[in-house]
Amino acid sequence: MAGPGTCHEDSASERQKTDSIYHQVKEFLDKGETLAVATIVSTKGSTPREVGAKMVVTAWGEIVGTIGGGCGEADVKREAIEVIRMRKPRMVRVDLLDDISSDSPAVCGGIMNVFIDPWWKEKNEKKTAKERT
Amino acid sequence: MNALVDELIRISEQGAAAVLATVIEADGNGRVEPGDKCLIRDGKAESGTIRHEGLLRAILREAESCLKEEKSKLVPLEIPDAGGKIEVFFEVMAAPPQLIVVGAGHIAVPLVKFAKILDFHVAVLDDRMLFANRERFPAADQILVTDMAEALKGMAITPSTYIVLITRGHKYDEPCLREIMDSPAKYIGMIGSRRRIKACFQRFREEEKIAEEIIERVYAPIGLDINTETPEEIALSILAEIIKVRRGGKARSLSGK
Repeated sequence: MAGPGTCHEDSASERQKTDSIYHQVKEFLDKGETLAVATIVSTKGSTPREVGAKMVVTAWGEIVGTIGGGCGEADVKREAIEVIRMRKPRMVRVDLLDDISSDSPAVCGGIMNVFIDPWWKEKNEKKTAKERT
Repeated sequence: MNALVDELIRISEQGAAAVLATVIEADGNGRVEPGDKCLIRDGKAESGTIRHEGLLRAILREAESCLKEEKSKLVPLEIPDAGGKIEVFFEVMAAPPQLIVVGAGHIAVPLVKFAKILDFHVAVLDDRMLFANRERFPAADQILVTDMAEALKGMAITPSTYIVLITRGHKYDEPCLREIMDSPAKYIGMIGSRRRIKACFQRFREEEKIAEEIIERVYAPIGLDINTETPEEIALSILAEIIKVRRGGKARSLSGK
């Protein structure tokens, strides 16, 4: 699996490995935490990870999984903490075009769109209850 | 969220195929909101927050095609009575691919080893216990010592099944091939020299009136064209070909495909 420091073209096929990350999500939700689940939903050009790659961020800034490391990931983490605070999803565009001369392993030259979604234990339940009334 | 997360965990533990659809953008009237979700399994919406019927129908349709391609993607949908343009991200949780290795000879040993590294579920078949055993295939998920064609008849073959025919001779490969030719397997490869394969396909055409498109499915001679010499190299070229088929690559196969 590609980790930080490797680049693949957006045409390259991805590998969908979703095990274990949801186990950890459950642990956090059970503790009553709100999480931000950040998923790469589209890419253009060369990016450190593929469409479908996921990273879970806690309100304390802890991270499970990776969307490629480097500055892009740090930006997403910052936005994720905001998403947790507001409990409202948002889309973040991560531009890996600039800073091409930097040493960051995540500078691949591409763009990725990351959807950041807040998850908390009662989220679905609440919505369902609201709809019933 | 917990019901959904429990379901996602169950799916990853069972190695089942499923799609998680998430609304990313909706410029609608609030009936559909970003973050709304729906989990699709076996062609049915299992849990989630999407209630709009038109949207659900469109999602079920798209989910099926995403699952077939084993590819997660963002799809714009046009649902007039849900507010128009809605962007949905389909996250594919693919079932682990299954490799059936028919024939437990010299190539099978490295083939099974490599396939396990690549996270395939691997079954090995042979009618000789001396070859199909735990000592030779410690990593195999399943080892069957039985008549190979007969065993294939009873196996669940799905669109995520890859079948490699590498028995000790065409006398054995051919009946196996007959069993699986019109199965939904994603890949069927058969070992053999060009001459023998040509003769085999000729027999199929003449004696059995097997449709050309069914014969065309078979990757024979097996493997990518990388000028292999050893059994290990042949095993690698077979798996490289399987990955090419799975992921839609363009490298040239020995069969000319």
